[in-house]
Amino acid sequence: MTKWGMVIDLEKCTGCQACTAACAMENSRLPGENWQDVIFFTEGEYPSVQLKWFPRPCMHCENPSCVHVCPTGATYRTSDGVVLIDWDKCIGCKYCMIACPYGVRFYTDEKPLVAPDMRKVFGSNDGHSWSPPWRMPDSREDWKRGIGIQPRGVVSKCTFCYHRVSKASKDTADLDPSDPRQREFTPACVVACPPGARYFGDLGNPESEVSKMIADKNGVRLLDQLGNKPQVYYLTGAGAAVPSNRALKRT
Amino acid sequence: MNSATEPRNFAEVALYLARLWRQEGTLRFLAIALNLGREKSLAGEMWKYGVVIGLLSFAFVAFMLLTEGGAAFNTSSDGINWGLAVSVYIFFALTSSGLTFIASLSMVFGFREYYSIAKRCIWLAIITLGAGFAVLALELGHPFRMLWAMPAGMQYLSPMFWMGVFYLIDLVLLLIKFDRLWHDDWDSPLSHFLSIASFVAVVLASGMLGLVFGSMVMRPMWYGSFTAVYFILTAALSGAATIVLATYMAYGYRHENMPEPLRSMASGKALPKVFATLSGIALFAVVTRLWTGLWSNLDGLEGFHALVRSPAFHVEVWAGLALPFALMIAPALQRRARWQITAGALVLLGMFIDRYQFLVTGQAVPMFKGAWASGLVEYAPSVTEWMMAVLGFAIVFACYGLGEKLFNLAGDPRHRLREGAEPKPAYAETGARAD
Ligand code: SF4
Ligand code: SF4
Repeated sequence: MTKWGMVIDLEKCTGCQACTAACAMENSRLPGENWQDVIFFTEGEYPSVQLKWFPRPCMHCENPSCVHVCPTGATYRTSDGVVLIDWDKCIGCKYCMIACPYGVRFYTDEKPLVAPDMRKVFGSNDGHSWSPPWRMPDSREDWKRGIGIQPRGVVSKCTFCYHRVSKASKDTADLDPSDPRQREFTPACVVACPPGARYFGDLGNPESEVSKMIADKNGVRLLDQLGNKPQVYYLTGAGAAVPSNRALKRT
Repeated sequence: MNSATEPRNFAEVALYLARLWRQEGTLRFLAIALNLGREKSLAGEMWKYGVVIGLLSFAFVAFMLLTEGGAAFNTSSDGINWGLAVSVYIFFALTSSGLTFIASLSMVFGFREYYSIAKRCIWLAIITLGAGFAVLALELGHPFRMLWAMPAGMQYLSPMFWMGVFYLIDLVLLLIKFDRLWHDDWDSPLSHFLSIASFVAVVLASGMLGLVFGSMVMRPMWYGSFTAVYFILTAALSGAATIVLATYMAYGYRHENMPEPLRSMASGKALPKVFATLSGIALFAVVTRLWTGLWSNLDGLEGFHALVRSPAFHVEVWAGLALPFALMIAPALQRRARWQITAGALVLLGMFIDRYQFLVTGQAVPMFKGAWASGLVEYAPSVTEWMMAVLGFAIVFACYGLGEKLFNLAGDPRHRLREGAEPKPAYAETGARAD
């Protein structure tokens, strides 16, 4: 069985946030509701201070605490290793947001993160929380999998672009955006990344590019000590590092 | 203000009300209903103000939720996910559990002197739990969906699922038990069984509420089985404070008005002893938790530093716990009604702050959320969130006044013996003037 996972090479990442923009366009995200965010922070003190950045999608944990705490089963893990939300079952209790160590989840009904409130500018009258002119086609939307524009009162997060990935042929080892046959099945952030810092493939297949990279280049996972076992790995090489704690300093 | 007679079931209540309406006409009937009688009484005042304030705050919250939705709250995805409304729920749910513990003193463990507060405890436990559920329902994104999605999901790994199951069982058992007491059934095998089952359910419910937080290893300020114990112990304290206040209120804040054995309990050593022990334990729990939190440099415990800098936390520790503890061990003060009432009120204030601080500082260290969320998260509840808290208290006040008037909350098994076994007709000819 496929076990989808992602590798992000921090040595290549330039912090351009093309992934964030691509995700927002692909998944019709509300401004600020960045399923794929890039976190900027500083390390050290003047004069040896460093500006750092860190791209952070949902980790699609193998052992996802968000799934374990959900009282309704709205959050679940698919057989190909992707963690999704059923918006028809979510009661908006926000327990999953409490339990996710990586802060990747968003509650729909709250003060806008960016003004003006686009939900008011592009109001919806068909059950969606808003209705922007550039939204994802209805035929792709899938509320049972948390894909598209969500209704009110539920939680949303990165789906690994499940509407694309799930259409790839079953034995695919890697989804390489430079291969025109696979491009449309590859997650939008991976397609958009200008320096090609993101890789997507089958972690269950030892021959896949992502598996080899994790082994050869010593891929690490964020906050691994918590045991969630993310399926997003970071390559840190010589010049980059994953942040070691959450109490990041303000940039 | 205790009614001498009480209706035996809801049919009698309805019949009586219908008769009264016919006799008095709509306007006067409404006035009587709002005052719970033709004359002023404390219960009537509580009901009246509770209903009016409850309706106003509900109208405000409903308006804000319909126009703004969750944006009327100051909670946010990149900061505090669970805000004041959730802490108000915890406060009421644990107060309810504590009241059930105290009712169990007589009804499960056989301390007969506590019989005289048991019925009042159970009524208060029902209405505080109800108020907690009401506030929580307003906070959830889809409260009605919860009613089918939780049973259908059967998520046995989720602490919240079990919390829901146990609190539901707790509420149902409380209602049945109250119904038994209403029918003066204090010691039938069924009544005994209900008391024991309800004690077990409430231990599980409040412990599970603790584990909703205690299971969260990614939130180290909450993590650990100690959280369950902490919730159970502090639940007992807030339950004790509530019943002390409610009982004094029922007897005009004076020992002299109380019947025996209540009077000797309140004016003797029993009450201050229980109170001092519970507040001492809570104080110990708060301080040891703070110590380990400040001492350790584990990532995620930085919230404890925010806690010591917060003035509300100091109000909780010094005024809400240390002062009541001192009052209840001071030989010169511990048996005076005035100081017992003060201690009760301070403890409730302290517990209200405790639930809030526990909840909010536990989320103060952000989880890699967004480029602009760093350092410790700031949060202050919005007006809508405060109104939800007001609504919760209004529900408790209104329902307590109502219960005081309708159900003879001072009832105990001896009272039945004293008055003879003949059941009185519901509401004698004097009607609502029964007090
Ligand atoms: S990163 Fe968070 S939301 Fe994503 S699977 Fe892991 S625990 Fe769940
Ligand atoms: S907010 Fe929705 S998805 Fe999250 S735990 Fe609650 S019901 Fe589950």
